[in-house]
Amino acid sequence: MTKGPGSWLVDAASLLVPSGRRDQWRREWEAELAWAWQRHARQGESGLGARLRLTVRAASCVTDAIHERREGMTMTGMWNDVRFALRGLLRNPGFTAIAVLTLALGIGANTAVFTLVDGVLLSPLPFPESDRLVSISHLGRDGQDKLPVSTGLYLLYREQVKSMEGIALHQGAGLNLALDENDPIRVDGQFVTPSFFDVLEVQPALGRAFTGEDARPTGTPPTTVILSEGLWRRAFGADPAVIGRSFVMSGTNRTVVGVMPAGFGYPTRATQFYLPLAIDPATAPIAGFSADGIARLGPGATPESLGKELTGLIARLPEFYPGNGQVTFLASVGLAVTVSDLKESIVGDVTRALWILLGTVAFVLLIACANVANLFLVRAEGRHRELALRAAVGASRAAVIRPFVAETGVLALLGGALGVAVAAAAVRVATALAPSDIPRLDEVAIDPRVLGFTAAVTLLAAALFGMLPVIRYGRADLSSQLKEGGERGGTGRHRVRHALVIGQVALALVLLVGSGLMLRSFVALRSVDPGFDPEGVLTARIVIPNGEISDNLASAEFFRQLITRLEAQPGVEGAGAVRCVPLSGLCGLGDVTVEDHPRGDDEMPIMAAQTSAEFGYFEAMGIDVIEGRGFERGDGADGTPAVVVSESFAKRWWPNGSALGRRIGGGGPDQWLEIVGVVADVHQEGLDVPAQDLVYFPAVLGANGQFFGSRTMDVVVRVAGDPTSFLPVLRREVQALQPRIPISNPRTMTEVFATSTARTSFTMVMLATAAGTALILGLVGIYGVISYVVSQRTREIGVRMALGASAPAVRGMVVRQGAVLAGVGVVLGLIASAWLSRVMGSLLFGVSARDPITYGGVAAALALVAVLASWLPARRAAGVDPAIALRNE
Amino acid sequence: MDREYSMTYPTAAVLMAIRHGHRYGFDVMDATGLPDGTVYPILRRLERRGVLTAAWEDEAKAHREQRPARRYYRLTAKGQATADEALARFPALRRIFVAPDRGADPRPA
Repeated sequence: MTKGPGSWLVDAASLLVPSGRRDQWRREWEAELAWAWQRHARQGESGLGARLRLTVRAASCVTDAIHERREGMTMTGMWNDVRFALRGLLRNPGFTAIAVLTLALGIGANTAVFTLVDGVLLSPLPFPESDRLVSISHLGRDGQDKLPVSTGLYLLYREQVKSMEGIALHQGAGLNLALDENDPIRVDGQFVTPSFFDVLEVQPALGRAFTGEDARPTGTPPTTVILSEGLWRRAFGADPAVIGRSFVMSGTNRTVVGVMPAGFGYPTRATQFYLPLAIDPATAPIAGFSADGIARLGPGATPESLGKELTGLIARLPEFYPGNGQVTFLASVGLAVTVSDLKESIVGDVTRALWILLGTVAFVLLIACANVANLFLVRAEGRHRELALRAAVGASRAAVIRPFVAETGVLALLGGALGVAVAAAAVRVATALAPSDIPRLDEVAIDPRVLGFTAAVTLLAAALFGMLPVIRYGRADLSSQLKEGGERGGTGRHRVRHALVIGQVALALVLLVGSGLMLRSFVALRSVDPGFDPEGVLTARIVIPNGEISDNLASAEFFRQLITRLEAQPGVEGAGAVRCVPLSGLCGLGDVTVEDHPRGDDEMPIMAAQTSAEFGYFEAMGIDVIEGRGFERGDGADGTPAVVVSESFAKRWWPNGSALGRRIGGGGPDQWLEIVGVVADVHQEGLDVPAQDLVYFPAVLGANGQFFGSRTMDVVVRVAGDPTSFLPVLRREVQALQPRIPISNPRTMTEVFATSTARTSFTMVMLATAAGTALILGLVGIYGVISYVVSQRTREIGVRMALGASAPAVRGMVVRQGAVLAGVGVVLGLIASAWLSRVMGSLLFGVSARDPITYGGVAAALALVAVLASWLPARRAAGVDPAIALRNE
Repeated sequence: MDREYSMTYPTAAVLMAIRHGHRYGFDVMDATGLPDGTVYPILRRLERRGVLTAAWEDEAKAHREQRPARRYYRLTAKGQATADEALARFPALRRIFVAPDRGADPRPA
């Protein structure tokens, strides 16, 4: 089909026409020109004159095109730009898909982690004016011991302190509920002072809060209870008539006086009931730190001012309690008080990990933006002619950059929308994977605040990746710049692109170093000897309330009988009981009297972690007996007065001799227990916390017929094969002894062990995911840039090969270019890592934040894969046929 | 009727040309004698305001004549009224237009 003269003008001017109308517009003009040229030809006018006339007429298409453009922009303005951008993007599905997915990944990761940060760290606690709530705790022995609050100090603070509106204590409690005789359940709750609900400013939804009468010290278990909404629903069928009725709980008849509103729970939402905490001023110990303290600040008070006031009171303790031995003791351990924001004290140690995670995903977003910016630059260069023409016919700077802005906006919007979907999925996965001890995890949700954050991040991302073309083409001297750029191929463009790749490699390296350090910490943590053998061990907690078995010796006898029965079961290799199993936290810390190391009044008491154990425990738990023996049947204050100590305790006090035969105070005056065994150190608090000096008291203490035993014990059974399959047997044996006593918290010790490494492994998995994403994005960046450079240099490569360069030489040249970029990125990344990894210090275990192995390994690995990423385009370059390359130019 | 545009002489001329059967851009240029650069913008504006409507000529026919299909314009109902108004304003236009040469300018089917 013939084309009329001047159709090149139509081609050129069509670039001005909004892309949505461009094709139609060009067809019309071309048809007119073709038709006119045909008519001229038919009339025999096909000479230069006719050709010129038609070309002049064709030139009027430029004014038409400019009108079209202006019309398109002014009529519906931005909406049209957006429509054209959408069409342009749809015509380039590959570019669009990659850009949108990359952005969605970056924005989604940021949204997901921000959701965690917001839910756990930023959003206020769900109580009125929660910023006025503080936590009160104490420190002993120059900060070595973290102590809660004693009931004695609570009474003193309540009387004397002016700058708080209220103070309350709460303390863990458990109840055995036997509403269904055959299926007793164990529920966890809190003892609370009646002030508790006033301090939190939350009242029951049904019934009433506790009064002073509920908490009157009577010496018997409390007879009123407040239920959580969840327990009320689960165990009482959400019956409103439950208020005022009595039920047997843990062997005591208790009246339900209130039901808390849905969603309320403190210290966690899992708290299922509240019992009144009775304090007898006559006997409340000053030095018995047993309950957690919370307070509501008065007007104008700050945690610091309250802390100062409390510190003043502690200094004046001797005035309030003259001649009190406990006061002397507190002074000797250098008791100090700590007042901190309640939210901070709850979320405390996860703060850093979460912020680091947020920083990490911010890096991923930067890398993602760099990739999209790169794609954008390449695309913008493809539109060079169009831009040049627009500038030449006097398009304003705004008109030139508008399509870029529109495309940026559309891409960002799509990426942001998809990012929210990515985040919703990621949050679900992350909260499922997250260790259960991360506080407030149940409050995490994608809410309007999070969406606001996403919008901000999307805007930022758009600014980052859309900025380069705008800066480049938004300058005043656009036309001259375009001319130059078009002619010389634009070394400046390469420089920008190279900088982007270097930045990506550096950022990816920082993230890889971070996750590498976490991996090394995890490995180090896993290789810590916990001091026991977790394989094949099942444990479960059993609590015997006074109401079920009132006699102390009888309750101790319950455990002894249970152990004996369990030992007789087939497949059981050992059974025992302990007050709290290793890695589950300290169950006691206090001063110990050692016969041959008496302490004077002005000396620091001997402090050690303490627990109680029954016979069979060390064998069942797989704790090595180093010297002497473990507990045996018949040990205890009611039999052989024996005690067992850990190796570090023995070494500390008898470094040169044996601890066996030495004596430790058993509680009462002139009551001594003889050390019969020294056992290996176990990690009681966590694998990352060094093993502490530990004294194992027998389960029954006391003298002269007045015995007391631990009514809460973790039963431990070592079985051949899968320990979880033994759970029904354990349950059956407990029921056989006493049907109304439930077992709670059944776990294998392998699970306990895994829980102890859960935070490290969670952080590691999150960082590794981020680093992996960063690595892939970074490699795509390198690959893309090297590929592009190769495609731009096809002619040059053809010339080189025509002049005799070998294929390996060409490959080497290209790979070298990639390697140089990667190398610079790696060096910058190493410097940044060394500086940034300091913030990770507290998350690491057994590895330095500047661990040379991690740094070296990661750098080498990253450099290697970067070279591989440039190898593919290099191979393509070496396959260039010089003849074809030269002919095409 | 609404006056979203000013009835200038060029606009009136374009309207009259189309009413008299000059339906293609270049034809309108020839028939009106207006500067080439002004005709298309007027056509586009009138089309956008619903005074004119445009359609593509039959592909098969264009193909037989070995040229691309052209886009032709015609008056809408609103356009007829506008053309009347144009004629009332510029009566001299009536004398300028004659029907196009049917042989050289095939009317669309």
